[in-house]
Amino acid sequence: MADQTLPISAPLPEAEAQRVPWLEWMHSWVVTVDHKKLGLLYIVYAIFFLLVAGAEAILIRIQLAWPDMHFVSPEVYDELFTMHGTTMVFLVGMPILFGFANYLVPLMIGARDMAFPRLNAFSFWLTAFGGLLLYFSIVGGFGLYGMGNAPDVGWWAYAPLTAKAFTPGHNTDYWALALIVSGFGTLGTAINIIATTFSLRCKGMTLMRMPLFVWLMLIVSVLTLVTITPLTAAQIMLLIDRYLGGHFFDAQAGGSPIVWMHFFWIFGHPEVYVLVLPAFAIANEVIPVFSRKAIFGYPAMVAASVGICFISLTVWAHHMFTVGMTSVGNTFFVLSTMMVGIPTGIKIFNWLATMWGGRIRFATPMLFCTAFVFQFLLAGLTGIMLSVAPWDWQLHNSYFVIAHFHYVLVGAIVFNIFAAIYYWYPKATGRMLSETLGKWHFWLFLIGFHITFDTMHFVGLLGMPRSIYTYEPDRGWNTLNLIISMGGFVQAIAVLLFAWNLIYSYVRGRAAGNDPWDAWTLEWSTPSPPPAYNFAIDPVVRSRRPLWDLKHPHDPDWKYER
Amino acid sequence: MAEMQQPGAEHAGSGHTGGAHIHLPAPTAWPIVLAFGFTLVAAGLVTSAGVSLLGAVFMIAGCIGWFRQVLPVEQHEEVEVVEQPVVIASSRQLVDRIILSTRHRAHLPLETYPVISGIKGGIAGGIAMIVPAEIYGLIAQHSLWYPINLLGGAGVAHWSNPSTADIAAFHWQGLLVATLIHSVTCLLVGLLYGAMLPMLPRHPVILGGVLAPVLWTGILHAFMGVINPALDARIQWGWFLISQVVYGVVAGVVVARQGKIPTGQSMPFAARLGIEAPGLGWTRPDAGPPDDEENR
Repeated sequence: MADQTLPISAPLPEAEAQRVPWLEWMHSWVVTVDHKKLGLLYIVYAIFFLLVAGAEAILIRIQLAWPDMHFVSPEVYDELFTMHGTTMVFLVGMPILFGFANYLVPLMIGARDMAFPRLNAFSFWLTAFGGLLLYFSIVGGFGLYGMGNAPDVGWWAYAPLTAKAFTPGHNTDYWALALIVSGFGTLGTAINIIATTFSLRCKGMTLMRMPLFVWLMLIVSVLTLVTITPLTAAQIMLLIDRYLGGHFFDAQAGGSPIVWMHFFWIFGHPEVYVLVLPAFAIANEVIPVFSRKAIFGYPAMVAASVGICFISLTVWAHHMFTVGMTSVGNTFFVLSTMMVGIPTGIKIFNWLATMWGGRIRFATPMLFCTAFVFQFLLAGLTGIMLSVAPWDWQLHNSYFVIAHFHYVLVGAIVFNIFAAIYYWYPKATGRMLSETLGKWHFWLFLIGFHITFDTMHFVGLLGMPRSIYTYEPDRGWNTLNLIISMGGFVQAIAVLLFAWNLIYSYVRGRAAGNDPWDAWTLEWSTPSPPPAYNFAIDPVVRSRRPLWDLKHPHDPDWKYER
Repeated sequence: MAEMQQPGAEHAGSGHTGGAHIHLPAPTAWPIVLAFGFTLVAAGLVTSAGVSLLGAVFMIAGCIGWFRQVLPVEQHEEVEVVEQPVVIASSRQLVDRIILSTRHRAHLPLETYPVISGIKGGIAGGIAMIVPAEIYGLIAQHSLWYPINLLGGAGVAHWSNPSTADIAAFHWQGLLVATLIHSVTCLLVGLLYGAMLPMLPRHPVILGGVLAPVLWTGILHAFMGVINPALDARIQWGWFLISQVVYGVVAGVVVARQGKIPTGQSMPFAARLGIEAPGLGWTRPDAGPPDDEENR
C-alpha cells in the first residue's frame, strides 16, 4: 500500500514540492506509524471529545440551573450524564494522556519510535473507532424510548439496571461493545509503552535517570494492563447475560449485581490513578523547569508513584460502603484508602519543595500546575473524608461525591492537561501559544472551576443526590445550583478561548525554536517539530537532566547524582 | 553555550553526513483496516450479521496485509536526514555566587519555646476565656450554665431541639463534656501557639493572639450554618469573638513570656537520639552550627 514511493525523474520547484495536496496529507496521517503523529491524533481526538463532553455538561447544568426545569426530557438527561461520564473517562482522559505518552516517551528516552509502531497505529484506531461506535448509538442504539438512544445507564452501568428486562434495545450494548473495542486499543498502547521504556532507552539512560514523566507513564501502563482486563471481562459477561441467557448479574437466578460492582470498581478506582498519574507526570516536568530547580526528591517520587500503583489496587470497595459489607471489609477499605494519602502527600510536599526557593516563572503552563497542586490537595482531603465509612454513608451518591471527583478529574487532571498543551505545543507545532490568551484562559477557567465545584460541595452537604433530573423549589438548593451552572458557563468560555488559541497560534504564533522554556529533557534537543527520525545521532546521557549538562558543562548534574 | 547539530546519519552511532538516510518503519494502512474490521465485527452484534461479516473480511485482509508487512522482512522507508541546527543554550542569566562562611548559615528557628510553655499558655488562655463567656451567659441569658451547655450539649445524648430554658439549666453531663472539650481544645491550641509563635515574623502576640482568633471565628461563622444550624442560631458571634481573642492574647502573652530554649536542629541526628559515640562532636564544614570554631 503506502510502502513504496513513486520515482520522480526531476526535482520539483521548492515551493511546489513543499505544497502537499490535502488528500496526500490526509493519507499520510491515516497510514502513519510515527509515534508523534499518532500522539497528535490521540490528542486532537481527545480535544474534540472534550468539547463534546463539555457541551453535554453544559446541557446538564442548564437543566439543573433552576428547579422544576424541563429544558431536556428525563430520558435525554439520563443519556447526557451517561455520555458525559463515559466520554470524559474513556474518550478524553485516557486518549489524551496516552497521546502525550506516545508523543513524548520515545523523545524523552532518546528513541526513534515506539517499540511496536504498527501496534501503536492499530491501538489508536481501535480507540478512535470505539469512540465513534459509542456515539453511533445515538443513531443506531434504539432503547426503551424508541430509535436513536445513547446509553443511559450511567458511566458505571450498575446491574440490574443493565439487564435486558430493564434496559431493552441496544444502547447498553453499544456502551459495552464500544468500550471493549477501545479497551483493546488501550491495552495495546500500554504494552507498547512498557516495551518501549524497557527496551529502547538511549545509552546512559538507566531507569533512575529516566524523566519522571516516563516513569509515571510506565507505571500507568502497568496499572492499565491490570485494570482494563476486569472491565473488559465484566462487559463480556454483561453481553452474555443480555444475549446468551447468562446469569452473572441476575440475583433472581443465582447471580449477583454486587459482582458487577466489584468488577467495575476494581477497574474504576485504579482508573482514577491511570488518569491522575499522567497528570502528576506533567507536573513533574513543568514545575521544575519553571521553578529553575531540579525536582526535589526524585527517588522518593519514583517510590511514591510505585506505591500509589500498588495501593490503588486495594481500595476499590470504598465505592461500595453502602452496599452492606462486613465491618472487617469496611475497615480494610477505609484504611487502605487512607494509605493512598501517604504517597500522594509525599508528591505534594516534593512539588512544593521544588518550588520553594526557586526562581518561579509564572508562564501559563506553570499557572495551571500551581493551581493543580492546591486543588489536588483539596481533592485529596475530601477523598480522605469520603474514605471514612460513616461519612460516606451520609454523603454517598450526593453532589459532595460529584464535587470531590470533579476536583480530581478537572482540578487536577484537566488543569495539567492544559499545562501540558501549553508546554509542549511549541515542540509539536514549532509555534508558541499566545500567552495573553493563555492567561485569560487560565484565570477564567480557574474562576469558573471554583464557582462550580466549590459550590457543589455545599449542595451535596445539603443533601442533593447525584443524577437527579430536577428538584423541587423548596429544597434550598436553588441559588447554589444557579451558581454552579454559571460557573460551568465561565469554564465553557475559557475552553472556547483555549480552542481559539490553538487555531490562532498555529497560524500566527511566534516561532518557538527548539527549546523555548530553557528545559532539560531530551525532547528539547530536537527541532520543533521534531523530524520523523527524532534524533539524527543517538543521544547519550549521564544524568537526569541531559540538557542541563550540555548547557552548564562546568556544573553538570552527573557530578552530584548518585 | 553548547551547540548540537542535527547532521545526517545513516543510523545510530554511525557516521553522520548531510543527506544520509535513516531507516524507519514504513507507513501502512493495515492497522487501520484491522481496527476497522474489529469494530465492524463488534458493531454487527447490535446491527446486522452482514456488518460483522464485512468486519471479518476486513480483519482477515488486515491480518494478511500486516503479516506481509513484517514477514519475511520488516518493511522500512528511508527518511532523508535534514540538516537542522539546534542550539542547546540556557537563556538563564548566570550570576556570581556569594561565598558565605558557615557563620551565616541559617538554622530556623534557632530557638523555640519549650513544650511546657504551650501547655501553660493553653491553661491560662482557657481560664481567661471563661470570663467573657460567663459574662455573656449572665447578661444575655441570665444563666451561668448557658455557654457551658452550648459547648457541651452535643455530649448529652437525649437532647434534641432543647429550649432556651433547657440550655440555661444545670446538666452534669453537659458540664462534664464541656469541661473535656474545653480542656483538650485549649491545651492543643496552646501547644500550637507554642510551636507557631517563634515562626511568626513580627508582633507574634498580635498576629497569633488577635488575627488568628478573628480568622478562626470568621471561618467557623461561615461553616457553622452548614455543620450545625441549630448551634449556629444560638451562638452570639460578637461574644464568641471576644472570648476567642481573650484566649489568644492571654495564651500568646503567657507563651511569649516563657524562656526560649535552643532547638536541636543543628545537632547530629544521633546526638538528638541521645547516642553517645565517638565522632559525634565532629561536624561537616558545610553543616556545622555557626560558632563551631569559636566553641572549640
